[in-house]
Formats: sequence, structure tokens, C-alpha cells
Amino acid sequence: MIDPEASGTLFNIQRFSVHDGPGVRCVVFLKGCNLRCAWCHNPESISPRPEILFYQERCIGCGKCTDICPRGAHIMNEGQHVFLHELCEGCLACAPTCYAEALAVSGVRMTTDALMTQLLDERPYFGEQGGVTFSGGESMLQIDFLERMLAACDREGVHCAIDTAGNVPWSFFERTIRYKPIFLYDVKAADSDVHRRLTGVDNTRILENLRRLSDIGARLWIRVPLIPGYNDGEMRAIAVVCSQMNAERVEIMGYHRLGESKYAALDRSDAIAPQTPSRSALEDIRAVFQEHNVNAII
Amino acid sequence: MPNAFSTDRTVLSPRISRFISSIHEEKQQITLMKNRDFHGKLNSDDWGYVYYPDFKFDPPESDRPDGLITGYVPIAKTLRKFVNDMPTYVNKNSALGGAWVRVIAEHANIGVRPEDRPEHLYDVWGKYSTRPGCFGMNHCAGDMEIGLTLGWGGLLRKIRHYRRLNDPSDTSFYDGEEEIVLGMMEFASLVANKASELAAGEIDPDYKRNLLDIAEMNRKLAYAPPDTFREACQFIAHFQTIDRIYYAGGALDQIDRFLLPYYEKDTREGRLTDEEAVWHLASLFFNDTHYSQIAGLNPDGSRDTTNRLSFLVLDAIHYLAIPVNMALRVHDNVNPALLRRALEYILEDGSGVSFSLNIGCEQGYARNGYPVELARQRIKVGCNWTAIPGREYPLQDVTRANMGMALHWALQDIKNGSASDRTLEMLFDRFAEHVKIIVDSIKEGYDWHYEHISRNTPELIYNLFMHGPIERGLNCAEGGVDILNFNIDGVALATVADSFAAIEQRVVNEKRITWEQLFDALDRNWEGLEDTRLMMKNIQRFGAPGSLAEKWALRIRDHFVAVCKSSGTPKHNLPIIPGMFSHGTILELGKELPATPNGRFASEEISHSAEPDPGFARGLNSFSPSLKATAVAKVQPGYGNSSPLHLDVDREMLQREGGIDALIQLIHAHNHMGGTLINMNCLSKETLLAAHKKPESFPDLVVRVTGYSAFFVTLSKEYRQQVVDRFLA
Repeated sequence: MIDPEASGTLFNIQRFSVHDGPGVRCVVFLKGCNLRCAWCHNPESISPRPEILFYQERCIGCGKCTDICPRGAHIMNEGQHVFLHELCEGCLACAPTCYAEALAVSGVRMTTDALMTQLLDERPYFGEQGGVTFSGGESMLQIDFLERMLAACDREGVHCAIDTAGNVPWSFFERTIRYKPIFLYDVKAADSDVHRRLTGVDNTRILENLRRLSDIGARLWIRVPLIPGYNDGEMRAIAVVCSQMNAERVEIMGYHRLGESKYAALDRSDAIAPQTPSRSALEDIRAVFQEHNVNAII
Repeated sequence: MPNAFSTDRTVLSPRISRFISSIHEEKQQITLMKNRDFHGKLNSDDWGYVYYPDFKFDPPESDRPDGLITGYVPIAKTLRKFVNDMPTYVNKNSALGGAWVRVIAEHANIGVRPEDRPEHLYDVWGKYSTRPGCFGMNHCAGDMEIGLTLGWGGLLRKIRHYRRLNDPSDTSFYDGEEEIVLGMMEFASLVANKASELAAGEIDPDYKRNLLDIAEMNRKLAYAPPDTFREACQFIAHFQTIDRIYYAGGALDQIDRFLLPYYEKDTREGRLTDEEAVWHLASLFFNDTHYSQIAGLNPDGSRDTTNRLSFLVLDAIHYLAIPVNMALRVHDNVNPALLRRALEYILEDGSGVSFSLNIGCEQGYARNGYPVELARQRIKVGCNWTAIPGREYPLQDVTRANMGMALHWALQDIKNGSASDRTLEMLFDRFAEHVKIIVDSIKEGYDWHYEHISRNTPELIYNLFMHGPIERGLNCAEGGVDILNFNIDGVALATVADSFAAIEQRVVNEKRITWEQLFDALDRNWEGLEDTRLMMKNIQRFGAPGSLAEKWALRIRDHFVAVCKSSGTPKHNLPIIPGMFSHGTILELGKELPATPNGRFASEEISHSAEPDPGFARGLNSFSPSLKATAVAKVQPGYGNSSPLHLDVDREMLQREGGIDALIQLIHAHNHMGGTLINMNCLSKETLLAAHKKPESFPDLVVRVTGYSAFFVTLSKEYRQQVVDRFLA
């Protein structure tokens, strides 16, 4: 039995990433998020609990899942497998019976020791600059596990970064800063109403945490997602926010569409599909930041 | 050796640029002709031969009733006649003259005497689909400095000198070698005549000058050794020509070492510019895709050998933009600008050099009992393999010990045994026994090879460029050189490891099916049992961190290495070095292998070299280059022979800030983890899929198939699929 206090719920380990912090990094994606960004490209990260993903195209119609599901969430309709997500209570009994891997579990509980074993296998690739990045979801929501992982990495001399949207109590940050991580801090909108409309929450606490991190001299990389049609109008105000922060780096990150297949797997019809911004659109936004003396990376 | 040298990219003038782009276009035309006649099934190095579909050769009459041409003198006479009879190719855009036109075995009945064939081993080799390597040819490398110092005339004098000195009762070794050298002297003269003839009809003064230079150079090289950089390249091109004609030999040497004195002398004396050197090198690569290396440590390990010429080699490959087989030897202190430039060119061109890694190659080789100073001189001169040029007969890449067949027969043993024998340990015991039978049969074949090869198909070309054969009057394969090694490559590692893991998980631990049901499913080739097949296939496969399959892969590797290294060959105690390299034989060996417990259908390909199967990374662990690299490093056989890592890197990733730095880090990390060789492509998914669908629309797409590069369009559909599967893994 895994001690819940010593384990976390992960949904992905992405090795050899050059996108999430300095150098080559191993990115650990923790499950659970308290924002509801309309464009989220990791929709499986939102629920804190393990859940079933259904990939229709892999199904061979064996029917084993229909036999085992206690809630009748899997049915065969004219030879076609239909997964009734709303009936699923998350027992996960169906996935191990699905050898075609049409049903897969997103979310694995893992102890700090087991995760460290995997991360240390990657250490030769980190070089002088790289390390581990904890992302999500909102990685800070699993603060007990995160703190243990930061301590374990610190003992091994592995550098850490924390990718966060900042919507957590300041006390959570206080538990991490002693390990001197880089905070990859998302700023999605500067206006609170806009932020609420886009993510479901206002940004008062988010901006306050950002300011406090800046004030104490924490290592900050501010990351600004550019979602065409959603937050383009916020860029100038975000640039002002960035100009007031003591950030090592500001990145403008264009929306990408890699998460679309996951919405289908989760039977989520609420996905939006903005266009990926063009290079020239990103250049224009960079120029806006430049006007506020912020050298943004695109 | 200069302490400082430029690392700048060479900028080409319009004149040199025209020369190089013209030979690129000529290469395209030749490739299209080959592809038309061979229907996209070349599947090998994009050899540099110029295709003459109408050329017919009339070989000399055999002295044997069966018409076979075999032994030193008959083969050498045939080769001499061949180079005289084949069309003489001179291209006014190339700095060098001459080309080869096909392997001689396609035009003459050359081979091994029937009475010398090891028929007593055929049954055991057939049972296990073994590629035994007996009578394997050309997998050794010459010291090019020997030829460059002596020239063909000097080589002739050397042969005659030692024939007199040793005064053997049978002079056929020397007589055969003399025929080869005389043939090459005649060939150089023919090239000179052809160039003169073309010059006479040429109007363009620049082309005329070039053709006259080629004529003059070849007239000299018919007798005298080269003095200039261009002459040295021309001499090497002629070596490549005869080497390829005879058994498709493809090994060169450390190119930025053996050409360096000529480059330094010519540039010092104002005879050569960097852009001219790039043209000469491009012309040499156009002549043929021989395997060569740049960079690496000097023998005492005190410094990196990178020099200006190393950079010019990269420039030449880049500007020529055709398949070239060049390796860069990586070590901790390799010139960082050279490594970065190599990766920049891979990013720009999609393909480029491979990366041979010093720790696995050199320290691994030293574990065989050789000094590490010697190991540093063992360089990459084959598609995956290494040799000490001029000093080692390292017969590699000619065997395939198909461990998939060992598993098949082990399963048959268990199936036909008693019920109490149906345990995992018993299965492994039987598997281990069959692996030993395969390895022992290859060792026995190597003894036979050692005893018989020299009187049948001697290494007539390499003998000239090695330390010892001429001096001793012995073929390099029978003691002409001091160091003899024999390689055995084990293949199907992931196929077998995944199979054991699937049995352990599904049959033994979870008891989802019985042994009997498994045997039935394999016998039926999974017919009607798709669900069962997927159950066996979709386990944590080799490559997934902490998987059962990784444990089995290590155990299988350990056993294979142990049986290889436990003894030399039974009769002559010839040393054995284990490796794991499959080349494209994963297709043909797969065709011969029945269904396996990892969910593989009968006749499907087996796994590649020491690599996990495509699709191994699933669930929590997304695919990443490092995940694959770690898996390949962990299962290296560990004695210096390369077991490559193939990486098909997404161009988008490499183009990002830090992308090249990340790959540099990966290369060094793989080196430190014990890896031996990295073959890399840089592609976009869109380009690759479009090219797979319609290859003829992408005539310029060069890919690294395994240790060698080729035009994508020349590969068969199955080989193209391999590259696509790797990329989408």
C-alpha cells in the first residue's frame, strides 16, 4: 500500500525537454489543476484523480470492458464501442482488460523514491544547466509531494524548476523557495475580469504571489501564452506587469494544437481551437514587450 | 600541427560552386538511372559507381573445369582486365578522374571452390537462420599512408623486393598483388588519356584546364606517388575504385590525418585554397561513399586531432549534398566548434556525419586485452564497424546470430517436453543452450574461414595497404597482420527480451493464458487471437524504465557476451568480439522467424541492433531520445564493437533555442553511458511521410538508414518504413 503522503499523482514524464527551463530537462507532469483555461492543451491534467482515456480508433471491439464495468459505462452499440464518461466512477477496472490500449489510465500514483530512480537515470543528459521541471496541471497543488521531491533532488544536486500558474497560497511557495528553484510562472492575463473569463478564477492572488517572488529575489521566468482571439488584447498590460518584475526571462509562448486528440479521448466537447499564432504575430507581440523594455523570447 | 586554425565555414566562389553543384546534379542523374533499373531496391550505401547498363565484360578463361575464378592470380588477372575494359569515366566538373562501374562478381564467376565450402555446418546454420560470416570479405581497413607514400610504382617495387627476399616456393600471393598494381597503373593511364581526349574537344577554358590537370595528374600517378593534396585525393579515388570493384570494399581511414600533410604543404606554398580543397574533397566523396572518420584522440590521448581539414570535410559534405559516410569521433575534449558545426549541418541538410563514441569503442576494445593507446587508433571505417587501419583484420558485420531462432527452438523444446518443464527458467536454459549452439557454429565456421579463405578469395586490395602482408607474403586474413579479431553480432535482442517479459507477466505472474494456449497461439500465428496477441504485445517493453523486459534484455546480453567471450574458436583459438548490429537483415531474418510471444507475427521484422522496438514508450513515459539512448547504452556488449543508436530528431526540436546544445549533451551523455555509435537524421514528420508516399518527388532527401546514408528514393518500401517507424516511435 502506498503511503498517500509520500506519493504523487503523475500523468506524464517527458524526458529530454528543451522547452521548460534552462538546458535539458526531465519534466514531471502532476495531475490536478484549479484553473480552467479554455485552451488547455493538457485536459487530462485537470482532474486530480486518475481517469480513463478512450481512443476509439484503437478499439478492436472485444467487449471485455463491457463485462467488467460495474457502472455499465462501456456499451456496444451496433458493433461500436461507446464510452459513457458520465457514468464512469473512476474504478479503472476496464483499462487492464483492454489489450488494444483503446482504454488507458491517465494518472499514476508514484512514490518519491520510485520517481527519483527514474529521474536519476536522466541525470547524465542534464549537463550543467539542466535538471527536473515539475509541471502540471498545477504542480503546487500537490505541495507535500512536491516538497519531498524538491528535497530529494536537492540532496542529489539536481536542479529543479516549478512550472506554476501561481493560484495557490503564498505558504506553498514558502515551502519551495529554500530549494532555490526557477519558477516558470504563467501570466495569462493582467486584467482580473479577463483572467476570470479565460480561466475561471481572478488573478489577484496570482499577481500578488508573482510580486512577492520578485521581491524576495526568487529566480523567475515569466511565461505568457498567446492565445489568438482570447488574450491578445492583454499583451500590452502583461508587458507592463513584466516590466515591474525582477524576472530573469520572459517568454511568449504561441498556442499549439497538440492537445486536441486528448479532448476527444476525454469526450470533452468544450475544447476551443484557436489558430496557432504566426511567427510575425509573435514578433509583433515581442515588439510590444520591447516598448516596455522587456526583452521577451519567442 | 598548427595550434590554431580557422573554424569558419568555407565560402565558395561561383566557379567552385558551379563545379560542386554540377557533380551533385550528375549524381542525381546517375541515381535516377539506377533507381529506374533497380526499382527502388538498392537498400545499401549509395555507392558511387557510375551506371553503364550496357557494359558487358568478358572475363579471362578460368583454369578450372567448373569455370570458377578463384585464388590470387586468377582473380587478380580478372580484376586487371576489368579495370582496362570498363568504361573510363571523367567528369569535367570533378577535380578527379575515374570511377567504378559495378562489383566484379556481377560480371565474372568469382568465388570459393566447392570443395572448400563448409558443408558440414550448413544444417546447423540453416536451422537457426544463421548468417555465419565464413568467407566474409572486405571488412578490414588499409593504412592509406602506405599507398600515398609509395604510389602504385612504389607498391610494385615493394612487392618485387619482398618476393625476392622471402623467395616463397609458391609465388602466387606476390604474383596476384603485382597484377593488381599493374592494373591500377594502366587504369590511371587510361584516365589520363580519357581526360586528354575530352580536353581536346572542350571549348570552355575553365573546363579545358581542369581536364588537362586531371590528365597530367593521372599520368604522373600511374608511376609516382602523389605530392599535392589533389593528387593525394586522386590516388585515394583510384583506391576506392578497385576496392569497390572487388567485393564492394568500403573502408577508408582517418581522412583528416592522412590528407593533412598534403593540405598543409599546399596551403603553405600557396598552391591550394580552402575552397579548392573543399572541391577536391567533394569530388572524392562523389567518386565513392567509402567510410572514413574525422577527429578523435591521438594515440597517447593527450589531445584532440581536429584540424582545419576536419572542418573542410564537413563543408564538402554539406555543399555536395549527397550521401557520404563520415563519422566524427567524439570524446570529452573533442573540438566543440567541430561538433557544433556537424550538428548545424545535420539541421540544415537533414543528414550528415555519424558520431562514433570513444569510451565505448576504445575502453571497450581495451577489455579484449589491447592497450588503450592502440584502441584509440581503432576508428570507424564501416557502416557500423571499426578497425585499426593497416594493422587489424577485424572481420565485423558479416555474422548474424539470430537469437529469435534460439527462442523459437527453446519454445519447441518446452512444448514437446513434460508439463513440469514449463517454467520460465527452463525456457531460458533452453534458449541459452540454443544461443550457445549458434555461437559455437559461427566460431567453427571462422576456423574454416581462417584455413580456406586465402586460397580462394584473398584480400588482394587491402593487403597492399596493410603493415605485414607484403612483407610476409601472407594474406591479411591468415596472419599477414598482427591483429586478428572475429566478430559475432547477436540480433533480435528486443524481440526476445519482450517475449520473455510477456511470458513472465501474462503466463507466469498474471496467469491470463496457459503455456498450452501460448504454444497454440504461436502455432496459429495468432490467427483468430488478436486480443491475445495484443495482450502479449502491450506490456512494458524493453526501453520502458524499470520494465521486466529490460531485466531480460540485460540477462540475454550477458549470456550472449559470455558465450562469445568464453573461448576463442575451437581449433585455432582465434579471438571473438561480440557485437549487436543488425543492418537491414531485420527484414530477411524476420521473414524466416515464426511468430514470437511478444505479439509479433511470423515473417514480421525482428528488432533492430540493440534498440527497443518502435512504440516502446507509452503511457506515463513519452518517447524521448534520451529514453531510447539510455536503453541502448545499457545493453551494449561492451567490447568495443559498435551497437548503434538511431535517432531521428524532429527538426522543430533542433531549431529551438538550445536544441543543438541539447543534442551535444545527449551525444556526450551516451558516450559516458557506454554507447558506441549514434546515427542521426533531422527530419520533419510532414516531409518524411510525404516522401514515403511519393519518394520520387524527393530526389534530394538523404537519410541515414543505419550506419550508412542513402537517398531515400533508392530504398525499398520496407526500408523506408523502417525509417518512418523510427521517427514516429
